[in-house]
Amino acid sequence: MNQENSNSAGTVELRGVSYIYGRGTPFEKKAIDNINLTFEPGCITGLIGHTGSGKSTLVQLLNGLLKPDEGRILVDGVDIWDEPKKQNKLRFKVGLVFQYPEYQLFEETVRRDIAYGPSNMKLSGEEIERRVVESAKFCGLDEELLDKSPFELSGGQRRRAAIAGVIAMEPRVLILDEPTAGLDPMGREDILGGMRSYQRARNSTVIIVSHSMEDMARYSDRIVVMKNGRVEASGGRTEVFSRSDMLIGAGLDVPQITRLWEILKGRGIELPDDVFTVERACEVLLDLLRTDLQTVKGR
Amino acid sequence: MLKDITLGQYFPGNSPLHRADPRMKLILTLVEITAVFLCKNMYSFILLIAFTAALVIMSRIPPRMVFRGLKPIIFIIAFTAIINIFWTKGDNLLFEFGFIKVYFEGVMFAVFMIIRIVCLLAGTSVVLTYTTSPIAITDGLEQLLAPLKKIKLPVHEFSMMMTIALRFIPTLIEETDRIMSAQKARGADFTSGSLIDRAKALVPVLIPLFVSAFRRADELAVAMECRCYRGGDGRTRMNVLRYSALDFVLLAVFALFCAAVLLINRFAPGFSL
Repeated sequence: MNQENSNSAGTVELRGVSYIYGRGTPFEKKAIDNINLTFEPGCITGLIGHTGSGKSTLVQLLNGLLKPDEGRILVDGVDIWDEPKKQNKLRFKVGLVFQYPEYQLFEETVRRDIAYGPSNMKLSGEEIERRVVESAKFCGLDEELLDKSPFELSGGQRRRAAIAGVIAMEPRVLILDEPTAGLDPMGREDILGGMRSYQRARNSTVIIVSHSMEDMARYSDRIVVMKNGRVEASGGRTEVFSRSDMLIGAGLDVPQITRLWEILKGRGIELPDDVFTVERACEVLLDLLRTDLQTVKGR
Repeated sequence: MLKDITLGQYFPGNSPLHRADPRMKLILTLVEITAVFLCKNMYSFILLIAFTAALVIMSRIPPRMVFRGLKPIIFIIAFTAIINIFWTKGDNLLFEFGFIKVYFEGVMFAVFMIIRIVCLLAGTSVVLTYTTSPIAITDGLEQLLAPLKKIKLPVHEFSMMMTIALRFIPTLIEETDRIMSAQKARGADFTSGSLIDRAKALVPVLIPLFVSAFRRADELAVAMECRCYRGGDGRTRMNVLRYSALDFVLLAVFALFCAAVLLINRFAPGFSL
């Protein structure tokens, strides 16, 4: 594949995909129910849903760890189950960071752990080293930490090291399953900010599974809402977050600013629709107050 | 993938065998085992088959599941059968092929052996493992063995260890599955290469698995201590086991079965071991 092609690649398409756990036992459960969905490159898609809505199952289907019972999954137009023997290649293309990825670290040093993925790709030593350093940077890991044992790091640092281990494979599609679960606000910002800069730098497809409406409001471009193994809604941020009834019906919440916006709009104040973060809301409201003040003075 | 391994075979349901007291089921398992080895006569073996079939039907476990449980021992069954056919000497020669001589007795012996093993496994699994949750089994075992406390055997501690071990088997399997998936997502290959390559490929799974197992054990110990766990002395139980009429009916049925087998062995004609 030439460079031009790989720049435009990274489309993941699901066609009528279903997945059932424990088929033929009393524990049978349909986790994914006839999903049709496309993830486009060049944006961050937030995958949100209540616990048990099938988010984690969906992301495992996307990189071939689970095989769909029905339907097809296409990555750049190729069915990922056409050639099961070449699944490894797929995994280098579709990188998946699991929930609590820090428990997968095993090497003696962080550097070697991050290099595990790239060395499975049979890359040259220099290329591996370049990728290790670069991915550590994206994840906000200091270079001096690279030569420590992963078990000496703090929880947040370990999480970053684990994410760096997947990013070092430079996948066209990067999927993160709850990358910020259990982290403090600073850690969340750092990791999600790093993912955003990775996405912007590589123009790749990034899919983030999350519970946090605030995080998704801040960092995602598109939102997919899941409920009981189905896609309840999908679209741009504004479109999805404006349907607060649907979100609450799916067992979710709306970002706090959206709630505030609804109250203010209910009182007849005109506000722009595309505001989801506290910072942006502050700016908008301050501007509004200033202009209000000026009109008062003008009178 | 790993989830398909059935260590605890428990198959939830609401049959009489599911509802019976785990202590009684442990006793009945012993009775069943004894009965299987008491059978010596063609008619008693027929009775044994009928009784085992009745147990399977009563448990409402799909027979397919029971047979699946027999799969791992097919080799042992076949092996014992072949040994018995060719090595048993008797009076009625069936046929001769060079130095191999097959006697009627040998064939009967092999058939009886197969029936024994199959009935033993099918019977005990529907009485105990398929119909009793592992926790209930350890609970029952603890109470059955309670008299041994008198001779200072730490029965409670053993059963607590068993309970915890059983409790964490699915967790560890899940964890293994997760770590394997995570490493697969980083390009690990567990299925190709030489035996040494494959063993090496497991290192990235085993290290995190051990680390998390120790962490879990530590956390569990702290959590138990926080709730003032100090061993079995003076501990009461939330679910007290009580024998019901059903248990005694089952016991009576099993006892009748044993008696019938003994009577048949003694009085029925035909080939016997």
